[in-house]
Amino acid sequence: MTHDAFSRCHPAVNFLFFVAAIGCGMVIQHPAYILAGVVCGGVYFCLLSGRRGFARIGMLLPLPILTAVLNPLINHRGKAVLFLVMGKPYTLEALCYGLALGGIFLVMLLWFGCYSAVLTSDKFTSLFGSLIPSLSLLLVMVLRLIPAFTRKTKQVLDARRAIGMGAEQTGSLRQKLRSGMTVLSALTSWALEGSIITADSMRSRGYGCGKRTSFRLYRMTGRDWVLLILIGGLFSLVILAGGTDASYTPVMKAAPLGWGFPAYCALLLIPTIFELKEAAAWHISISKI
Amino acid sequence: MAHFHIENLTFSYPGSAVPTLDGVSLDIEKGEFLLLCGRSGSGKTTLLRQLKPALAPYGKRQGEIFFDGKPIGELTSREQAEKIGFVMQDPQEQIVTDKVWHELAFGLENLGCDPAVMRLRVAEMASFFGIQDWFHREVAELSGGQKQLLNLASVMAMQPEVLILDEPTSQLDPISAGDFLNTLKKINRELGTTIVITEHRTEDIFPAADRVAVMEAGRLTFLGSPREVGLALRRSESPLFSALPAPVRVYYAVNKEGRCPLTVREGRAWLSEEFPQGAKENALTEPACREPDGEAALVIKECWLRYTRTGPDVLRGLSMRVPRGSLFAILGGNGTGKSTALRAVCGSVKAYRGSIEILGKRQRDYRPGELFNGCLSMLPQDPRSLFVKETVLEDLQEMGADQTALEETAARCRITELLLANPADLSGGELQRAALAKVLLRKPKLLLLDEPTKGMDSIFKAEFAAILGSLCREGVTVVMVSHDVEFCAEYAGIVGLFFDGQLITTGTPQTLFGSNSFYTTAVSRMSRHVFRNVVTAEQAAALIKRNREEAL
Repeated sequence: MTHDAFSRCHPAVNFLFFVAAIGCGMVIQHPAYILAGVVCGGVYFCLLSGRRGFARIGMLLPLPILTAVLNPLINHRGKAVLFLVMGKPYTLEALCYGLALGGIFLVMLLWFGCYSAVLTSDKFTSLFGSLIPSLSLLLVMVLRLIPAFTRKTKQVLDARRAIGMGAEQTGSLRQKLRSGMTVLSALTSWALEGSIITADSMRSRGYGCGKRTSFRLYRMTGRDWVLLILIGGLFSLVILAGGTDASYTPVMKAAPLGWGFPAYCALLLIPTIFELKEAAAWHISISKI
Repeated sequence: MAHFHIENLTFSYPGSAVPTLDGVSLDIEKGEFLLLCGRSGSGKTTLLRQLKPALAPYGKRQGEIFFDGKPIGELTSREQAEKIGFVMQDPQEQIVTDKVWHELAFGLENLGCDPAVMRLRVAEMASFFGIQDWFHREVAELSGGQKQLLNLASVMAMQPEVLILDEPTSQLDPISAGDFLNTLKKINRELGTTIVITEHRTEDIFPAADRVAVMEAGRLTFLGSPREVGLALRRSESPLFSALPAPVRVYYAVNKEGRCPLTVREGRAWLSEEFPQGAKENALTEPACREPDGEAALVIKECWLRYTRTGPDVLRGLSMRVPRGSLFAILGGNGTGKSTALRAVCGSVKAYRGSIEILGKRQRDYRPGELFNGCLSMLPQDPRSLFVKETVLEDLQEMGADQTALEETAARCRITELLLANPADLSGGELQRAALAKVLLRKPKLLLLDEPTKGMDSIFKAEFAAILGSLCREGVTVVMVSHDVEFCAEYAGIVGLFFDGQLITTGTPQTLFGSNSFYTTAVSRMSRHVFRNVVTAEQAAALIKRNREEAL
């Protein structure tokens, strides 16, 4: 559970932001945009996950380098030949293209990391609950089943170990496999028994007796509307302003940066600025006490 | 007009020759608190489910049930959901969603409640039940007691007129169970909701009920106020008498007739009247504790254990010594580390300091597999997790014992007639005995039990204790972890009190509970102002009788 300011906004705001950030990040190959994506995504990722965030980013950094080194081995287009590998040219253009691809991949990983921390399952379902009620209820029930199933598996394995029927205590591989199958089938029938009770509980609480409504945990406030419009506006500006074209092979060329680039940076920095602003407000209000 | 009017109801499950309900007639008044007692399998659950059309089992039904003067079959599914709330036994499986707030809102969502109204109702219920602190939590993180309270709250959010509960506290520890039952009393008193409940744990609920109905083999045998039913059970010498609260049992053990006390407070008043100058003989001679320096089956020395490197210590220098052939009970509150101690003995978790010696050999000197083959076995908290096959018999065969050993063990645990049943169909007490049989097929010399009496009625408990007693006489050492003070006081040889990761004290039940003033049995709390070391109903009755004889 993260407690940053942006996560506390309405899920619709969070969702629109990630649609914009991930959508642009996936499509745009312009090096400046990729760099902006890496920097802004990295900063926000670190804000969300604290000290562990730095370590994770450190682990991800070799990724663009790796793709950069590997890409010219497959892609031989380009004029600036650096050297030959097994008789095939190893070109600068392909190297840069690999670097860009790795950068895009890195941006995706960063934004998806932020996404999973900010837009938790309950926010997602509350957002789409009213659109597709039965599907979102199904999702919620499945989400509850997974931890229950893992817990039961552990319980059964522990219980069997303590009566000398554990997997490591039974002899041959065949016996082990058979014992594993038994446990799996037992778990399945156990889960089915449980689902009968769950179904009873649902029926007794009136499931299926008419049109469902959904409980809204989040309310749209004025601030959320402002953010929503801001994100929407910047997103359309980035798309409409253009200047995002770039190609690497066979010839490297990038469109000159226009109004779209500052708009893109501003868009990506929204969560970070929001968090810093709240942190500053918090510090100031504390220092006044 | 009665809230529920049941007229000559007979019900049998398909393919069963004997009706499960046999001519039941009962009026349940508005705002009444009705307790339904009976052994497992006496038809209590079937009767309760007949009162809730959405849950009524399939079968042949005769007779009528009226809800508010209307035949119950005519209720729409919406009306039955709104007006009749039902809480089941299993705290875990009843929950539908993954978040506490969503679960509270689930019923209202189904009814198509307006979002603003829903918000208010959910907020109301969360405040009434004290849930606001864990409103945003995941359901999976809650304790059993919290889960059951959530189930109750989410049913109450729909503002039902009747609340039906089927053994709601059988999976809970006594403290959570007490909280749950107190909440029920509050609902009945402050909201006027009609409550119909079945319950094994009568100590709290029996005095609070307006009326008690007793079921035996599908028939309603007694119906009346708690006092009337107590007397009637005493007169008919029913085995169900053992399920009544301790003050009632002590009173009727020494008196034939009269107005019995129902609560500990009334019991104390009665004893004060009985012995105005105090009792002449105020203590029982204590049975000698088993030779403490005899051979030990289990020795734990200065064990320290934690689950994560930076986490808190769960065992904090635990030392204990269990003599061979004893029934050793470890008592203590939730989260004090009792179950962890058992897991450490099994080797499922490792202590980072200290030593564990099992049957005179250090735990780490056992070869893998050797420990659990004829030395040590554990019956887990949820006996269901031991069963992996279709029938009990197949499960027992899995242990690889020969046919005669299997039959002997089944007979000993009294499950011979249950061998062909599916484990899923057994009641709590039956499942526990079947699990014991499975564990015993390994012929353990040291048997560990984790909360074995959970969900058992008083009659099953007595049978279970008899099996454990016979094992101990054969030289098997039994170590059990329990919340059940009454059971341990009655049957354990040695009890130890677990607190803060250590065994604080050990002794015979009489010395330990006799000196405790809060963590002790109802009989001890009731009689401590006249008797010194009385902890069970039999002891109290014996002492009262002896005093009376002397007075003559």
